[in-house]
Amino acid sequence: MLDLFVYLLCGSILVSGILAVRLDSTLAAAVSGGLASLFAAVCYVLLGAPDVAMTEASIGSGLSVVIFLYAIRRTTQRVP
Amino acid sequence: MADATLTAAAILIFLGVAFGVLRLVLGQTTVDRVAAIDMLTVVSISLIALYAHMAGRSIYLDVALVYGVLSFLAVLAIARYLERGL
Repeated sequence: MLDLFVYLLCGSILVSGILAVRLDSTLAAAVSGGLASLFAAVCYVLLGAPDVAMTEASIGSGLSVVIFLYAIRRTTQRVP
Repeated sequence: MADATLTAAAILIFLGVAFGVLRLVLGQTTVDRVAAIDMLTVVSISLIALYAHMAGRSIYLDVALVYGVLSFLAVLAIARYLERGL
């Protein structure tokens, strides 16, 4: 059953990565990238590395999405 | 009884991840995708907690705890972004 979950999560990482490349909306692409990081963190737990998963969950899935959104907001044209 | 409950929980979590990813792929608007992300976060936390029980290691519960504390920040930032506050 653990193998099945690892396969599902790896497929979800692939789907999220493809969506992050191919989506038109910049916000949706950043969110999909964060989701790939989330699934990677769960995959690390299932494969037996909880400390790596904790770092990945806090930095990869939490902080990077916030920094991406901040950068998108600062580099697009602001509507007056 | 306990094994049947754990198996049922695993099946429900499996279906939750599958349908969440399906909503992410099919979602027309960005808000659909953000809702899917929020649901997948909760499902992932429950998956980590279930695996901590099945593997018998309580150190994995710390990962679920840290993830539960930090996971709302991304959705909060997205909400602030959509309301043009960030």
